Amino acid sequence: MGQEFSVVGKRLTQPDGVAKATGTAQYAADIKLPGMLRAKVLRSPFSHAKVKRIDTSKAEKLSGVEAVITARDVPQKTYVSSYTPPPKPTTPPATDRGVFTDKARYVGDAIAAVAAVDSRTAKQALGLIEVEYEQLPAVFDVEEALKPGAPVISDTAENNLVYETVYPMAEGDVEKGFAEAACIIEERFSTNRQEHCVMEPHACIATYDANGNVTCWSPCQLSHLRRRTIAELFDIPLGKVRLINPFSGGSFGQRLGIEGEPIAIALAMKTGKPVSLEYTMEEDFAVMVTRPAFKYTCKMGFKKDGTLIAMDLDVTGNNGAYRGAGALNVSLCLLWGLGAYRCPNKAGSGCAIFTNTQCTAAARGAGNPEVMFGVEQVMDLAAEKLGIDPIEIRLKNIKKVGELSNMGTPIESTAQEECIKLGAERIGWKEKRGRKREGVVRKGIGMATGQHCSGAYPMLLEHSSALIKFNEDGSANLVVHPGSPGTGIWGTLSQIAAEELGIDAEDIHIVTGDTNATLFDIGSHASRSTYCIGNAVLKAAREAKGQLLERAAKMLGVSSNDLEVKDRQIYVRASPEKRISVAEVCEQAAIRSGIEVEDICGKATWHPTNSAPPFGAFFAEVEVDTQTGAVKVTKFLTVADSGKIINPIAVEGQMEGAMQQFTGYALTENWQINEDTGVLETDSFATYEMLSQLDMPETEVIFVEKPCPSGPFGAKGAGELGGVGVAAAIANAIYDAIEVRMKDLPITPERIVRALKVESCA
Amino acid sequence: MSKQVTRLIVNGRSYEVAIEPWMTVADVLRDELGLTGTKISCGAGDCGACTVLIDGRPVRSCLTLAITARDKNILTIEGLAEGTTLHPIQSAFIEHGAIQCGFCTSGQIMAAKALLDENPNPTREEVKEALVGNLCRCTGYVKIVEAVLAASERIRKGGK
Repeated sequence: MGQEFSVVGKRLTQPDGVAKATGTAQYAADIKLPGMLRAKVLRSPFSHAKVKRIDTSKAEKLSGVEAVITARDVPQKTYVSSYTPPPKPTTPPATDRGVFTDKARYVGDAIAAVAAVDSRTAKQALGLIEVEYEQLPAVFDVEEALKPGAPVISDTAENNLVYETVYPMAEGDVEKGFAEAACIIEERFSTNRQEHCVMEPHACIATYDANGNVTCWSPCQLSHLRRRTIAELFDIPLGKVRLINPFSGGSFGQRLGIEGEPIAIALAMKTGKPVSLEYTMEEDFAVMVTRPAFKYTCKMGFKKDGTLIAMDLDVTGNNGAYRGAGALNVSLCLLWGLGAYRCPNKAGSGCAIFTNTQCTAAARGAGNPEVMFGVEQVMDLAAEKLGIDPIEIRLKNIKKVGELSNMGTPIESTAQEECIKLGAERIGWKEKRGRKREGVVRKGIGMATGQHCSGAYPMLLEHSSALIKFNEDGSANLVVHPGSPGTGIWGTLSQIAAEELGIDAEDIHIVTGDTNATLFDIGSHASRSTYCIGNAVLKAAREAKGQLLERAAKMLGVSSNDLEVKDRQIYVRASPEKRISVAEVCEQAAIRSGIEVEDICGKATWHPTNSAPPFGAFFAEVEVDTQTGAVKVTKFLTVADSGKIINPIAVEGQMEGAMQQFTGYALTENWQINEDTGVLETDSFATYEMLSQLDMPETEVIFVEKPCPSGPFGAKGAGELGGVGVAAAIANAIYDAIEVRMKDLPITPERIVRALKVESCA
Repeated sequence: MSKQVTRLIVNGRSYEVAIEPWMTVADVLRDELGLTGTKISCGAGDCGACTVLIDGRPVRSCLTLAITARDKNILTIEGLAEGTTLHPIQSAFIEHGAIQCGFCTSGQIMAAKALLDENPNPTREEVKEALVGNLCRCTGYVKIVEAVLAASERIRKGGK
């Protein structure tokens, strides 16, 4: 501890705050290019159907229509929307998705698209496209999809199996471990899909110029990877594809992949004009990826004193209709669940299954909140059976420094113990837990722990690059690619750069979101940006600072080793009155030194060697109405170890936002399709209930700032951690209130009432 | 039906706009006047992202036909700051971290403006009730409430 910071740790405002507060920040739908056409997509009304015949002639004749395209008019190649590569080169994954399809695999699958002078005309033209479908039997449930004779959905899998996996870090002898256990708990859990509910409906713009350059304004989180996807799909040289991130109205993992971009590009190539494609919110709900649904069995064995000695996890994920990051979440579930606590004997397996439903991808936490919902309930069940307090059983089993993280790298720092103890004290655990259960409305308190990651190394490739160039006035441009996920990362990276360079955060000007300008970067996902991109920024800043000080040393006639830079001033450590401003050095370097001119510019690539897990403890207080089944979360407390906090406002905001997302995930957000047709029934904010102002609990966020040795100024990831233990803590609190275990998400009033009835009959 | 030339007063400035009868206030602001600070999210009146003030009252501009706003005063997010001087609500949103992705921000700020114009000294509960129709997926609303309360104090102390 004890390091003095000038910029890091300060509650600074975001660089894009004024643009957003004044309505001048441009999102994709705000951009209007000369001659721009508007596109609409014709989607399958059936969950599984062959396109027998398609006639676009009437639509083409409609005045104002410039192009109508179908599967015939686009590359016959396929792609995976949200592929993220591993660190070591492997064989490319099977691809299965075309720009359009002639076999619809879910309700909403893209069949054709129109570009017209305005969106009304485009929409009208959709109605003039004649399609004859041959309906096929469809399957929505994972168990049904695995049965012999089930409809085959993908051309890449005869048995609807996307993939099977086993836990790569299995240890010990699981059977022996269970044989030695004094207490074994085995439970089956299910979690529902979750819509990301990005407030900005998906939108993108594409242009195609006479030289064959494609430019696409896309809100995607992983632009450099998606540029590759687009170049390969359309067979265009990589250098001719440019992705630009406008401001993005939320991400949360929904935008790891591309969705409308290939359609907009195909229309731009066909017409030679800019094409804008904006989804409606209903379309967004029904077509964009969701968090996958999981069913899993969690079995854990403990010694009498509560020591976890054996664990087995078996996870099945509903992948939806096409391959993507959703399937990968099954592997992640195993890593998170089996890696949450120290356990000498552990194993797990999983699979992802194709169904005739919309596609899935990672959503904030990527399997961690899903699987911890079960793991943490099993921990509580074991504690109860063994007569140990839930806090104590966790303190006994949490991992310490030097043990392997959930991702399999040695833990460098953890304050999980402090988080649990501090949270328990703050919320009044001892006084409130296990209160007498009486009356109609019953109070309960519950908790859960969480361990996440700061980037998915070593599972995925996670390097970042940054470039910092000084301007003549002593400010600096930071060229870096977190994109614009809206997380506050711009401010965080500015603070890291400014701290190292000895200038103010406002002196840092971010250049981002343009693959033509930024160096290759994985982008923003897996809570990696502060840690991975932040480390690249720090490394580039050190490089730039070295050049700056060399130059200043010559000007001052001293050695650069004797210099410090702070508050925009470079001074001799031993005699601080001997000084020169950063601006003077930069001006001299760029303009006033004849043949000695140089550009002061640092460039760095940084690759992680650790997953740097952030840790947390989550506490919920609830009131359960035993007559109506209504659950009110009255208080939620998150205690987080994200290492040194670069900007407390931003990280508090991440934790508070996670409370909204995951309290909704736990209780109200109930993705539903029609069981016969597969049509999404919850395709609006009216039917898909996310939490409003009045639904929010009282919230509190506490940081335990234990610096992470490999983090930039000690920082680790934060955003996804905030959601890891929310649903689990709420479920445990509900049990404390009504003594009923809720094993299926969301925990709706109907489910509570039903469970209470079953309980009273038993 | 054909286009009708209609007078709209937006942020104090009078516009004669040829509008189709089906066009909403949001359509006209965004497509005809280039005022894209007003965002369309759900397009169904469920989320509040498109909130503007018409004669001082907060409305869902995505559901309000432009024709019904004839000769009325429309205030949008672009009309709040005076030159480069931000409105206290805008400053408070920035300073308190009430903005993350920013897509719901215009609507939140306009709903807050309507509240504070009518009730300059709201309680925390009153803020929550006034903004209940404005959904946000990033912030958990916590810092939005803090910002509105801070803005109300600033306005009472003489800021505008």
